[in-house]
Amino acid sequence: MTQPLLSVKDLVIEFSTQRGIVRAIDGVTFDIMPGETLGLVGESGCGKSVTSLAILGLIPSPPGRIVSGSIKLEGRELVGLSESDYRHIRGKEISMIFQEPMTALNPVFTIATQMTDVLMRHQGMTRKQARNRAIEMLALVGIPSPQKRIDEYPHQMSGGMRQRVMIGMALSCNPKLLLADEPTTALDVTTQAQVLEQMVKLQDELGTSVVLVTHDLGVVAQSCSRAVVMYAGRIAEESAIQPLFQAPRHPYSEGLLKSIPRIREEKLDELPTIPGTVPDLLHLPAGCRFVDRCYKADAACHQQEPPLEWQNNQAVACYHPNPAAGSNA
Amino acid sequence: MSTLLEVKNLKKHFPIKGGFFRHVVGQLKAVDDVSFTIPKGHTFGLVGESGCGKSTLGRAILRLHEPTGGEIRLGGTDITSLNRKELVAHRKDMQIIFQDPYASLSPRRTVMQTLLEPLEIHRIGDAASRKKKVLELLDIVGMRANVLHRYPHEFSGGQRQRIGIARALTLDPKFIVADEAVSALDVSVQSQVLNLIARLQRELHISFLFISHDLAVVQHISHQIGVMYLGKLVEIASSTDLYRKPLHPYTKALLSAIPMPDPDTKSDRTILQGDVPSPLHPPSGCPFRTRCPDAMPVCEEAMPELKNLNENGASHEVACYLY
Amino acid sequence: MNTLAEETSLPKESESLWGKAWYKFRRDRTGMIALGVVIFFMFIALGVWAGLWGSGWSNVGGDMWAGPSPEHWLGTNIIGQDIYSRAIYSTKTAFEVGMVVAILSTILGGILGALSGYFTNSWVDELILWLMGVLDSIPFYLFVAAIAYALQGYPYSMHIAMIATFWTTTARLVRGEVIKLKNFEFVEAARAIGLPQGKIIFRHIMPNTFHILLVQATIVFVGAIKSEVILSFLGLGVVDGVSWGLMIAESTQEVQAGHYSNFLTASTFLFVLVMAFNMFSDSLQDALDPKKVSA
Repeated sequence: MTQPLLSVKDLVIEFSTQRGIVRAIDGVTFDIMPGETLGLVGESGCGKSVTSLAILGLIPSPPGRIVSGSIKLEGRELVGLSESDYRHIRGKEISMIFQEPMTALNPVFTIATQMTDVLMRHQGMTRKQARNRAIEMLALVGIPSPQKRIDEYPHQMSGGMRQRVMIGMALSCNPKLLLADEPTTALDVTTQAQVLEQMVKLQDELGTSVVLVTHDLGVVAQSCSRAVVMYAGRIAEESAIQPLFQAPRHPYSEGLLKSIPRIREEKLDELPTIPGTVPDLLHLPAGCRFVDRCYKADAACHQQEPPLEWQNNQAVACYHPNPAAGSNA
Repeated sequence: MSTLLEVKNLKKHFPIKGGFFRHVVGQLKAVDDVSFTIPKGHTFGLVGESGCGKSTLGRAILRLHEPTGGEIRLGGTDITSLNRKELVAHRKDMQIIFQDPYASLSPRRTVMQTLLEPLEIHRIGDAASRKKKVLELLDIVGMRANVLHRYPHEFSGGQRQRIGIARALTLDPKFIVADEAVSALDVSVQSQVLNLIARLQRELHISFLFISHDLAVVQHISHQIGVMYLGKLVEIASSTDLYRKPLHPYTKALLSAIPMPDPDTKSDRTILQGDVPSPLHPPSGCPFRTRCPDAMPVCEEAMPELKNLNENGASHEVACYLY
Repeated sequence: MNTLAEETSLPKESESLWGKAWYKFRRDRTGMIALGVVIFFMFIALGVWAGLWGSGWSNVGGDMWAGPSPEHWLGTNIIGQDIYSRAIYSTKTAFEVGMVVAILSTILGGILGALSGYFTNSWVDELILWLMGVLDSIPFYLFVAAIAYALQGYPYSMHIAMIATFWTTTARLVRGEVIKLKNFEFVEAARAIGLPQGKIIFRHIMPNTFHILLVQATIVFVGAIKSEVILSFLGLGVVDGVSWGLMIAESTQEVQAGHYSNFLTASTFLFVLVMAFNMFSDSLQDALDPKKVSA
């Protein structure tokens, strides 16, 4: 078996707030293999963004704190790394694209300045080399006439263009891992389709591993090979894409999938829903954190948090999981 | 089936001021010559990408933005010709639900104050009956009475959206504009709110104009759907027809761009090139021609009219020279 | 960081935004100490007002320039008045000026700012902006002198001058906030309900500027006290009664003669109150900042 590129193990992150200590991430473990696209899915507050910030060493501290666990990039421990060491990793080995292409680019500098700065710092290129590389990257992400557009300011570009620039910038130093936090959420559907297609294509070409953080299961289905479903700071299910969408094993993944409105022939009167709301992390129910909203919950679920258990490349943290795909066929 | 809302040739243009003396240098045609009708108790879905004018259209119908031209009839009353005082009286009949559950409630007012206000303004009932009405409304939207003296910041997005819906219902409106009402919500909450809206529409026979960028959501909740591009309606069809047989190239592209939550249907997508043109400088003729895979020379000349291709009794309108 | 805000969800008890702000303020030690000092000064002022102490400020009861004694704790001034009583009485004068100017200029600035912000690009806005521009362009002391001259003998000319100039800053801040607020959906919702414009402005928009008004009022309060001292020193200020400014003005002759008691007493009172009020104002601002409150 190949070594994972990045492995997150038993990660626990807490934030201190006015009302007390909030455990935003509670024992999260997953691996990212070289060249794969992993989806990190869940609703707001599930900890998906915090996880990706932790990988980049960007948890604001205080109020945040990595309590325990490890994040290893090719065997090298990242937790506890000094800020100056982290700076060599960010942008070079791991880079990130954010949700808002508007605010992630500095409005007072041209695209050229912003892209060449990174290249000159991390790759030690001369200005000329860096500029050529930047133009090359812009062409790669599908920006028309990149020689011309590189000298534009962010506000001269549309949202989709800016997000492409962000992707180009993030990939310009050949990072091993790209963290994309809701990269297409702020974009229109037709633009989203363009950007996603571009990302998938680039990823095939460059072999970069990608962590796609999103709430949109459609985006995950279309662009990831594996997905981790998070709920209230823990992993509910981890699985390859096909089985996850065909036969979700955790009742939460099942509920999520069912509750998405889809384009279908015959109209449903009611969408299936998950009752209730995501619990307050300060007042989690005893036992499984999904217990109050779960149709399968019984006495055992109220007793103790179910551990994440593996079965044929599909892991689920549930005492009463649905049967795995193919097992009842 | 009786028509409740009739919108005829509605226009909303925003003057663009520029130059040293801030004179009008152009017009932004946010809504340009839009016509459609909504029968009583039906939901009309309006889809389009950001900047296409769908929200402006919703607000112009309610005269939250003054329309530049055209006619709006709600249950026989010409809304456009009402003066300010008459308009206030008619506000009872038409309400709006907003996108942002964080911005749509007054932060320093309790749920009770927010829900009582419409009743007080329109002098409906006495203190006791108003309170009763508020409690009923909370029950309808699925919230408990113990929230009455809470402030908006104490609720989650989904709960706030329910309060916003309750506020829209206080005056027993006949027509509600839902502007991206579920777009800011999480998936599991979104489905709850969608079901709530569908139930209200069935049980209270309210007509909805449901505005969203999400075609799947619109298709789920609407009877009829209008597709908007750069201020113009390019296709109007029943929601099943629109899915089964999309006619306009833009509708087809929109449909194929939706990421399906199913890894096996990696559809052969028609991915559109380029971006939506600026509404300040729309292309001549058909606004979609710059991105259209089927563009012809005639498309540059004039905007095609909406043409009704009546098929087995169901109206299906499309504005495209292909048909 | 919004992920954090989402991750820490709702409290269990009902709490208004003011309640949250107070909770935050209480945990700010500097702010609480400063507030304590301000309340102590206010207590002194109230006592003077009620006639409990400081009433002998104008009695000429001792020798000229007497040193500290059980009778005159801080000694006497050039004509033998008790410095301690005068400083105490001046606290009332300071609060009077501060309160009157802060309250009235805040009300004026709040209302005019809200109107100009809500009716941007109309003649109302143009008029208010023009007025602010004119008032801001007149040098402050010249303006006060002009008003004092015009209202000769009228004891409140200083107050009027300060109110007339101090409201503009408040109005500008409120105007900006209102321009932001009026595009919020809750304002649109109020219009959709059929609420008249006046109610929209005063019931829905204004309450959301109260945090600005409150902080601004404390800043104006301090500004008014400081200005009073300078104006009184220049002879443009307090006409009857005594104030720290008048005491400092008197002390110019005394300091030359080597008697510092009057000067030091008045300056210390002024310094401590202004300092405490500024610190209180800063903490208040932190506690009321809606961006920080919501986290």
